[in-house]
Formats: sequence, C-alpha cells, structure tokens
Amino acid sequence: MANVSVAAEWQLLGDRYYRKPELYHPMQWRHIDLSRNKVACAPFGGPIALIRDDSKIVQLYSESALRKLRLFNSAGVPLSDVVWKNTGGRLIGLSWSDDHTLVCIVQDGTVYRYNVHAELIEPNLSILGHDYFEENVVECVFWGNGVVCITETCKVFAVPDFKTRTVVRLADPPPPPSELELELELELPHCVAVIEPQYTLSGNVEVLLAIGDGILMVEEDEVQALPVPPGDGPLQKMVVSGNGRFVAAFTHDGRLAVYSTRFEKVFEYQCESALPPEQLAWCGLDSVLLYWDDMLLMVGPSDEPVRYLYDEPVVLVPECDGVRILTNTSMEFLQLVPSSTVSIFKIGSTSPAALLYDALDHFDRRSAKADENLRLIRSSLPEAVEACVDAAGHEFDVSRQRTLLRAASYGQAFCRGRGIGALLRMWRAWVGFGSNFQRDRIQEMCKTLRVLNAVRNPEIGIPLSIQQYKLLTPSVLIGRLINAHQHLLALRISEYLGMNQGEVGARIFNSAELQRIGSRKMFVLSLSFCIPLCQGEVVIMHWACSKITASLAIPDAALLEILLDKLRLCKGISYAAVSAHADKNGRRKLAAMLIEHEPRSSKQVPLLLSIGEEDTALMKATESGDTDLVYLVLFHIWQKKQPLEFFGMIQARMLARDLFITYARCYKHEFLKDFFLSNGQLQEVAFLLWKESWAIGKNPMASRGSPLHGPRIKLIEKAHSLFSETKEHTFESKAAEEHAKLIRMQHELEVTTKQAIFVDSSISDTIRTCIVLGNHRAAMKVKTEFKVSEKRWYWLKVFALATIRDWDALEKFSKEKRPPIGYRPFVEACIEADEKGEALKYIPKLSDPRERAESYARIGMAKEAADAASQAKDGELLGRLKLTFAQNAAASSIFDTLRDRLSFQGVS
Amino acid sequence: MAQIPNLDNAPLNLTSLREQSQKELLNILKNIRGKKCLVIDPKLGSSLSSIIQTSLLKEHGVELRHLSADPLQTDCIKVVFLVRSQLDLMKFICLNVQDDVSKGFQREYFVYFVPRRTVVCEKILEEENVYNLMTIGEYPLYIVPLDEDVLSFELDLAYKESQVDGDTSSLWHIAKAIHKLEFSFGVIPNVRAKGKASVRVADILNRMQAEEPVNSPDMVVPEINTLILLDRECLHVNNGSVELDASIMGLQQEGKKIKVPLNSSDKLFKEIRDLNFEVVVQILRQKATSMKQDYTEVTTTTQSVSELKDFVKKLNSLPEMTRHINLAQHLSTFTSKPAFLGQLDMEHTIVEAQSYDICFEYIEELIHKQEPLVNVLRLLILFSITSSGLPKKQFDYLRRELLHSYGFEHMATLNNLEKAGLLRKQESKSNWLTIKRALQLVVEDTDTANPNDIAYVFSGYAPLSIRLVQHAVRSGWRPIEEILKLLPGPHSETKRGRFSSSPSYDTLQASANIDKVADGRRSLVLVVFIGGITFAEISALRFLSAQEGMAYDLIVGTTKIVSGHSLAETFVERLG
Repeated sequence: MANVSVAAEWQLLGDRYYRKPELYHPMQWRHIDLSRNKVACAPFGGPIALIRDDSKIVQLYSESALRKLRLFNSAGVPLSDVVWKNTGGRLIGLSWSDDHTLVCIVQDGTVYRYNVHAELIEPNLSILGHDYFEENVVECVFWGNGVVCITETCKVFAVPDFKTRTVVRLADPPPPPSELELELELELPHCVAVIEPQYTLSGNVEVLLAIGDGILMVEEDEVQALPVPPGDGPLQKMVVSGNGRFVAAFTHDGRLAVYSTRFEKVFEYQCESALPPEQLAWCGLDSVLLYWDDMLLMVGPSDEPVRYLYDEPVVLVPECDGVRILTNTSMEFLQLVPSSTVSIFKIGSTSPAALLYDALDHFDRRSAKADENLRLIRSSLPEAVEACVDAAGHEFDVSRQRTLLRAASYGQAFCRGRGIGALLRMWRAWVGFGSNFQRDRIQEMCKTLRVLNAVRNPEIGIPLSIQQYKLLTPSVLIGRLINAHQHLLALRISEYLGMNQGEVGARIFNSAELQRIGSRKMFVLSLSFCIPLCQGEVVIMHWACSKITASLAIPDAALLEILLDKLRLCKGISYAAVSAHADKNGRRKLAAMLIEHEPRSSKQVPLLLSIGEEDTALMKATESGDTDLVYLVLFHIWQKKQPLEFFGMIQARMLARDLFITYARCYKHEFLKDFFLSNGQLQEVAFLLWKESWAIGKNPMASRGSPLHGPRIKLIEKAHSLFSETKEHTFESKAAEEHAKLIRMQHELEVTTKQAIFVDSSISDTIRTCIVLGNHRAAMKVKTEFKVSEKRWYWLKVFALATIRDWDALEKFSKEKRPPIGYRPFVEACIEADEKGEALKYIPKLSDPRERAESYARIGMAKEAADAASQAKDGELLGRLKLTFAQNAAASSIFDTLRDRLSFQGVS
Repeated sequence: MAQIPNLDNAPLNLTSLREQSQKELLNILKNIRGKKCLVIDPKLGSSLSSIIQTSLLKEHGVELRHLSADPLQTDCIKVVFLVRSQLDLMKFICLNVQDDVSKGFQREYFVYFVPRRTVVCEKILEEENVYNLMTIGEYPLYIVPLDEDVLSFELDLAYKESQVDGDTSSLWHIAKAIHKLEFSFGVIPNVRAKGKASVRVADILNRMQAEEPVNSPDMVVPEINTLILLDRECLHVNNGSVELDASIMGLQQEGKKIKVPLNSSDKLFKEIRDLNFEVVVQILRQKATSMKQDYTEVTTTTQSVSELKDFVKKLNSLPEMTRHINLAQHLSTFTSKPAFLGQLDMEHTIVEAQSYDICFEYIEELIHKQEPLVNVLRLLILFSITSSGLPKKQFDYLRRELLHSYGFEHMATLNNLEKAGLLRKQESKSNWLTIKRALQLVVEDTDTANPNDIAYVFSGYAPLSIRLVQHAVRSGWRPIEEILKLLPGPHSETKRGRFSSSPSYDTLQASANIDKVADGRRSLVLVVFIGGITFAEISALRFLSAQEGMAYDLIVGTTKIVSGHSLAETFVERLG
C-alpha cells in the first residue's frame, strides 16, 4: 500500500508518533559550520543569524580575521551581512525579538540591535549603564521581546521590552552561606531559565537561577528559594516549556526531570550520560529533546526514548508545535504527527479517512474497489473528508497535499445528493456542517496551503506549519514579508486573501498582535499619520519607503517615476508618510517632489516646513484656503528668519501678509511698524501712530505734563508728517493736522472754562458745547479756525440754541441774515423741542410748500397742512398726510376732498 | 434665553444636525467632571441659544458667565472658556487667567475653540504665558439652524474681515460647513457662485472633496441639488437699504430687552413675518376685531358648551396676539417717523439713481445734523455704490464733514470702508443703471398686500441678490452672463460628484426631478450668502419658493443674519 512509506518515517514515542520531515535540503548556504558559530534562529520560520563564536578557538580558513554577522532565511539564502565592529567585548548572546530585530548583547552590557537587513538600529541600549560599568554580563536569556542578563557578580538585570527600552534591575540573590565565602566570592548559577511575564501571576518576568543545590526565583523586588526535590540539585541545565507551566531540567547525576514551575516533580528519566546535554528543548508540550554531540534524544512520558543520530552539529529551534532542527546541510521539523494524518497513514488503519484515501488510489487506477471502499465508509464520509483536509494542511510535501485534497474532494462529491435513507438522517445532524461547509473548508484549505507553499519557497524561506501560521495570523505574516522587502508577495497575498478592505487594515492596526509581533515600523508610520489603511496600501507604502532607502544610486526624478507608478495603484496612500521617509533618508529633493502629490494640505504643509521648503509651504497653505495652515507657516518662517527676510517673503503673498498684519495689529504693534516701514507704507505707520495717540489719551498716567506738548499731540503730528510723505494721503495728512490743532484748542478751552468736557469731542460738538455754555466767541473762533461751512454752522447753532431753549437768541439768529439753508433747521429744532408756537414763527417762511405742509402736519394743524399740500399739487403727499391724521375724522375728510379735487385736476 | 427654533417642518433633517451639536457640547461638559464655570464669548452665546437650552447646561453643573475683560467672579475650580477662535478674545482669556494667577487662585482652565483650534490663537496664549495652564480642545460648531429654512454659519465679522483685513478664514469655514452638510446629505451636484469670495469658497469646497471625499453611494440622489453662492461684495446695494420687514424690526428692537421667540414656532409670526410692514398692521387689526366680535357674541347670546370651548381655545392665542400688537405698535412709532419715511424715500431715490444732487444734499444734511453715524454711512455706502464712487472733490468734502461732525477717530472707519470698496472715489462711470434695468430691480406699482414680485419686500425695489438667485435657480448663469460681468467679481458654475463626468447630465437631472415629484418633494437649493443676509431677503426668498411653478425648495445659508445697520456697524472702528 502506498501509505506504508509515509508511516515508515515515523517514530513511536510512547503511544504517539513523531515525524521529522525535511523542510530544506540542502541548505542554500555554503561552507557553513554551525559549530564554529553562535547561531540565533527566530521562531515561526524566521531568519537565522550567524556569527563566528569568539569564545571558541577555531581555525581560520581563507577568510578575514574580522568577524561578520551574517543573516540568512530559514532555507539558508543569505539576506545580508555586516562586519562586526562593535565594541564592548565578547558577544554574550544574540536572539531575534518578536518583530524580527536581532538583539546582540556584549560583555559590557551594551545591546546592539539589527534589522533583517543587518542595519544597526540606533540608539544602542546599555543594560548596565553608568552605575555598573565595571561589571560584565556573563549570561543572558531571551524571550519574546525581552532579555534577562546575569553579571559576574550575580546581579540580575532585565529588559522587559526592547521597544520601551527600560532596564529593570531585579532583586539580588542572597549572598552564599558564610562558610563558602572563603572558597568563592560569589557563586554563579549553573543555569538560568526565565518564565515569561505573560505566564506569571505578577505580570513581571520571573528568573529561575540554579544556585547551589537549589533554585532561586528572582523577581523585581523579591527573591524566593524554591525547594528542589532532594538529590536532584545542582541542576545543570533547564528550560521552561512553551506554555510556561513546566520546567525540564538535567540533574547533576544525569537524569532528565520535568517539574512544575514550583518544582514539584512530574516526570523523570535516567539518561545514559551524566554529562549535561549541549542543548535542551521542549518539542511541543509533551516531549523534551536533549542534544549531545552526535546524538539527539527525544524523551517523552514513556520509558523508551527515541534516538536520532547526527554526524554534524545541530541547532534546535523550538516552535509552538515542534522543534526545527538546523544542521549544516538541512532544516528539519520534528513534530507530533497530527491525529488526522495518523488516521490516514497509520499502517493498517481502517479509519474512514484511510479508506477514503485508499478509494482515491483505486479510483485513479480505475479499480472498482474504489466504490467498495466508499460504500464501507458511507456513513462517516464527512468525517473522512474533514480528516483528509486537515491532514493536507499539516503536510509539507506539495504532492502529498495535493493527493489528500483530491481525496477530500473525491469524498465530498459523494457527500452531496444522497438525500435518502440513513444518510439523510445523518446529514440532518450535520445541518450547518453540510456539504457546503465541506466545500468551503476545502477551498479555504487550498488558499491557506497556497500561501504556505509560497512562503515556504526557499527564496522566501519561511517554513511555517499550518498551526504556526494560524497563531501568527496572516496580517503579521504580511508584515514580516514587508519587513523582509518581499513586497510583491506581500501584496499578492493580501490581495489573494481579500485583505484589501479598509476595515481589515484598521483591525490590523488596532490589534495588539501587531504591536507584539510584526511590522512595527508601519504601525508607527500609520499611527503618526492617523489614516485607516488597508493592507494593500500598507504594503505599497512600505515598499515605497524601502525602495527609497535602497535606491541611493537612482536619481530623484527616475526614482519618483518608479515610486509613483506603484503608488498610483492605491487611493488612500499617504504621500506625506512616504515623503517624510524620503526626507529621513536625506533625499530632500525627492521628498519635495513626493509631497507635491499629497492631496491633504494639512499633511502636506507641515512636512514641507520640516524639509525646509518654506516658500512652497506658504504657497500650498495659501492655495488650500485654510488660514490656520497659513498661520502655521507664517510663525514658522517668522521664528526662523531675520525680520527683513521674513518681511520680504510675505510681502508678495497677499493672504500671508494680511494675516500677519491682522495678528500683529492685535499683539505686535512695534514689529508691525517695522514691517510697514520696511516696505514704505508710511501711511499705515501713520495710522498706527494715530491709534496709539488714542491709547495714550485713555491712559490717565500718560497724559501728565503739559497737555499742549504732550506725547499725544506729538504722535499725531508725527502721523501728520508721515501722511504728507505721499501724495495720495493729503486728506489724511490734513485731517491729522486738524486733529492736532483741535486737541490744542480743546485743551485751551478746558483751561479757560475750567471744565474738562472738550477734549476728544468732535469739532461740531465743540462748537455746540461752546454755544450751550454761552461762549459764542469761542464757538466763532473754532468755526473760523476750521473753516466750518455756513450750512453746518447754522445747523449746529440752531440745535444748540434749541437745546438750551433760548428761543429769543434763536429768533435773533434767524434774523441775522437770510439763513443759507433756509428756515428748515429752525422749524425742525422747534418741533423737536415740542414748541409749536416757536415753530409757527418759522413755518410760513419755508419756501417749499411741501415742506410747509409736512411741518404743519407734524404739529397737528391739518387744515394748514392741507392747504399747503394742495398748493404743492402733490396727490401722494396728501394721501400720506391723511394717514397721519387717520384718527381724526374731520381732518381726513379734508384730505379726501382735496385729493379728489387734485386727481380731478390731474385727469382734466 | 430664547426658545430654540422648531425644525420639524424643515426640508432637510436639520434636527439631527442640531442634536449632533448639542451632544458634542454636552460631551465636552461631561468630560470635565464636577462643577464648572462656563465662560462664553457673548456673540457665541447668542448662537448657542438657538442650539441648546440654558437649563440643559445647568443640569450639567454649569455656571454661565460671559467673557469680558473684567476679572472672573466664580467659586468654581474648573473654568471652561468656550470661545470663537478670534484674536481679540484671547486677550480677555489671558487677562482673566493672569488676574487669577496674580490673586493666587489655583484653577483648572479649559479652552474650547469654536469651531476649531487655530495656531494663531494658541500662539497668543503661549506668548502670554498662560498656555501651559490650560487644556485646549475644540467644539466643531460650524452651522446653527436658525429656522426651518435658514442656516447660519455665525461668522458676523466675515464680511469685514475678508474685505478689509484680507483675512479669509471665514471662507474656509463656510466651505467646511458646506462640506460637513455634504457628509450628511450627499455631494451637491451643482454649484453656482458669483463674486470673488463665492468662487473661492466653491474652489475650497472642491479641494475638500478631493482631500476628504464624501462617499455617496451611487444610487442615492443627493438631498441638496444645487448650491448657489453669492457675495455680499457684489450685492452691496442692499446694505444701505432700510430694513423694512416689520417683524424683524421687532426682533431687533425688542430683542434687547426681553428675547421674544420670533421664528416659525410661533404660528402667528409665521403668518406675518414676511409681509411688508404696511400690511402687518392691517392683519393684526383684523384678528383683533374678529376676536372682539367673538367676545361680544359670547356675552350677548347664550351658547352651547362646545362653542364656548372653541372660544376659549381662541383665547389661548391671546398672549401671542397682544405680543404682536405690542410689537407692531412699537414698530409703527418707528415707521411713521418722518425721518424713517424720509430715509426710505431717499433710498429709493438713490437706487433709482436719477437725482444725484438731491441725494448728495440729503446726506450732507444728515451729517450736519449729526444724525446717528451708522444711518449716514448706510446711505453714503448705497450712494457711493450706485454711482460707482463719488467725484474726488465731494468725496473729500463729505469725508471731512464726517470727521468734523463725528470726530477724527472715525478716520479708521472711513479707511475700512474705502478698503472694502464701499466708499470710494469715482473712477469709472456707473453701470448701475444698466444693471438695474436688466434685472428689473425697480418695479413700479407693487401691491404690498398681494405681492406678485419679490420687489414687495422693499416696497418697490427688488433686491439684486434675490434677482440673481431667481435667475440662477431658473436657468443657471449662462443667460445672464453679460449682466454678471457688470457686477464685480468672477462667477463660476461647476458640476460635481459623479455628475461631473456624465455628459448627459441634463437628462439625469430631468429624471431626478421626476423622482422627486413622485415622492412629493421638491428638490432643494441651498443659497449661501457670504457676508450675511437680511431678513427682507429671506422673506423674498420664501416668497420665491412659495411661487407656483417653482420646482425647488430654497434653504438659506448665511454667515450671519444682518441688517443694513448691523453690516455698516461692523465697519465702524474707532482709532481709539
């Protein structure tokens, strides 16, 4: 049977099968000897970092004495390398963090971080800092995004998260018992393990130190000794399981023991060697791997372990569902065989799934046994299909994936349309899990496998198992692809999985997952620009950014074309973000060209300012019509440039200039004056001075001293002279001159009359006040001094006299000479003062009969009004007058008759 | 505070708009826990009063104060300044805070800018060293519905700012406000603009759509069909015109003492508000008499219970009646004054632009008599515009007389008016007569009681603005292009949204119209007046909208409701 060969590769550990499929063979690298190197492999099929181990004596072949940090993908394809020139002594540990940053810790506690492109991420972090600079790091243990370091004096430091970059010093282990003091100053732990914060009660990291015979658990502020079962200590090596609940340890006498994290023993196995293994790792949750030179031992909860022999060095990479085994020439994946696979391929299996798989085989060979098989499993066909689909998912071999899926689809074809008998009843139980569900499952699995196969390709080199893929989530996978500059694949995958909807993108950016693992850079980028992006946009924008970084040699214009070509594909691209990146890479010109394409002015303008394109920024801000942006630019330039340069810049820009003036008028008077002087707008300066003169007038403190030569008048006179500098402002100039004169005169008047009522009233008011006070000479003087016209003079004097009700004087005034504007002012003044008798003196003197009529009407003399109106022969006037007399029946009849007569005349 | 307007019958869902604004304000208040003193700038206060009831604010532990230069009197630890982002208001805030600091009060300050925070305001707070003491936020109130067909952007200084100071912030705000409307009601497919500012607003609006597109599903017909933007600049003519709408005078006069709710919620008011002042008195008299008759009937004849009930119901409207009669009486004291009639007369004379000398002398006399400055300015502006400026000699003469009569401090006022082009030297011949004739602005023989043309609102003068709207709604700009060229400023006509690309737009519109008829609603036109609208113009628009054969409902948007008086007032600035 075909199945036999599959199961033949399995090993039985207890009652479970394990298998060890080859992921890559041979590795793409050449001449790599793992034993000469320090190796760091990222979980989830991540990259591999190699650097020659400086703690070992190795023979140099034809290579430089300088060490190189070399990065590969999981298939051994070189990604990048860099010469290791970092100071700080020996490299103690290196590991990949969750976001694929390579963290290297050297002796003096400096942490160097590299991205997958072997670029150093500044700034470096120092774990020991100044306070402990004399100490050395001797041991470090990494987890997720953190690390714990032990110094030679057994101080424990932790960096809980490389992103926040805070260093925590944990509590010191207590000094060793005094009798040992003589031999050793301090005992270093035999081994160290870490329980990740996510699995501890406190939420902080817990460090397990195997010191002496026991275990110390060190936390931030306390040290706790954990009792190890007697006879076990000292522990030589230990490792915490993937779920943080168990510790596997190698005892001094060659036993492998599994404890709970409180060190209650769960399991024990006596190894053949008392020599501690070089590597110790959990494989999934139910077996532990021990590696000695040449031998890999897998111990499970049964008596008989599995042995694998290797003639070359190996590196164990624990994953959530197994262990990857890296050797010089291959990468293997040691995992528990999934139950679906077991049910199909186990030798002698008669499970429905196995029969279905077999049926397909018969079907392919056109054997009638196919039908027979199907009949056998008819009742459990859906389970069989499901098992085949599931098994396909766990398969790394593409042809076997295909066969399994074909088997599933073959079985699925028979699931449908059999709506009779027992089948029917059975199907009903499956409502919701009917054939549609299965069809979808098959499709979905096909999609997933395509993605998995694509990323497993040696060129990409991410050998994810399906379980890892689900844990990692597609969006993080895309983030990692982006990080590795596999933009095209990332874009294809995101499109293929239909992740181009904005909401997906938004969800991704909100997910804490992304913050934990994956593309931090894009996360930060998108956050800083606050745009809900969809996955496709994320990919393209990241591509653009990386392209910029990578294309130092391409001239700006050409690069712009290349970028725009792709950026145009997506609508919601933030050009501002890409441009900001270009600027960060020192390509200011490119940044300027890119920002040109940003449609949102509110994003565009600040960026233009940051790249020093003030002129363009000002122009764009003005175009946008958003005055707030213009102000932003304005203040920016103002702060940065010399006043004269600033003035020059805004002079030609109307909106900017006007806004500046508006602002300065409120809060920067002096500076505004400078501005107007600088561009020769003397009249504006004059206006400002004039305005100031009023401010002084209001401020009683400032008007001290002789009012005649007070600062106020001086300001006005200065304004006057400034106005007279230009021809266009003779009017203003004269007004200012008059104003100064007026104030002088008013001061004099106040002195002579001893009443402070003149200053700051108008010329007309001054005249009126004089007349009201009876000071006709002074009034006359003001009149001649300011060449007040006769007309105005009459109005003013008449009203002033009426105010003091000096009717005699008024009459005298009316008789002085014939008034230049007639007697209307007199009439109006009297009527307003409600002096009908006085008014009557003047009404007959009005020359216009219409005016006469109205005046009569206003003092209620209907008859006379009517007469005058009829004299004017004005029908409309009569009508209006009638309205005024509406209450008075007699009067209105008069108007009616008159109007009739008038209209009659009009007709004739 | 006045009662907030009833918006139930609005052609757009303005209630939701207002509720949104209410909610936003309350959220701001809720987020500041405990008792707090809310300091509002007075102008904003009046806008808010048509959004939210004071009582509701009080429920949220608010103590209300108006912002002024005087030190703040309150026991609250938390002080919330709710201010428009105006430069001069910052001074008050600084004074208030600095006063507290000097007295050693420890308070928490919050500044909420309406409608948004601006760099310049924050800069001022920074320079005055109070910025660090306060939490800054914004309250995005862009639109205040004043009535079921009137929206205001509450930018009362917009006209002066953009014309005199060149500060075009208001234009951005208007565009933003319209854009915000579009988010609720769909992209407005037709935009017609006349005047520099209007064309600019249309331009900014298009930019906003490009930057932050309103995603309207293709199948939904946008609720607003056409947007008409008009500049005060090219319509100054109305500025000078006396505000004749009687009811509105009432609002202005009475409003100062007790706020009488004058909007559509008052049925009687709805009936009379848009009538010419001459008619109002008659209607009121009719109503009063009929009531009196009813009353006598009650007393003389015995009546059934149900009839009595009816009568009592009628009596319910009595307070309304008396209020309006009082108002009308109050008004008639104004309207029957000879000065008022004289001014009305004179405005007609000026608009007719026939007798230059009479007008000149009339204005001269007003100045000599030292009549209120704003009245004089109104006439002067009207005069200057209809005759496209005054000859240099008279220009200087009148200006000098003005300064002599009202004081030299008004130099700034004159300067402002000149900058805005409202008062200027004559440089070219006036084209007013042509415009007047082409648009039939002066209509003889209007029957004010049963009007058949919009000219009724000004007793014979049809406001230019409304004539333009009439044309824009009816046929677009094209037929009157020649006349538009005579008016200052450019004009533009654009199609937007998905219609812009469709060549067969007209047919589309036709079908849209049919759809509208089917569900019994007319399509909507939003008319935006940049620089303010007068009540009379609103009346005229309502009249237009009520005409038979009118295919559209009109909604008015404006920077502020103004009168000739209040508009001229914004320009009055004393040097001191």
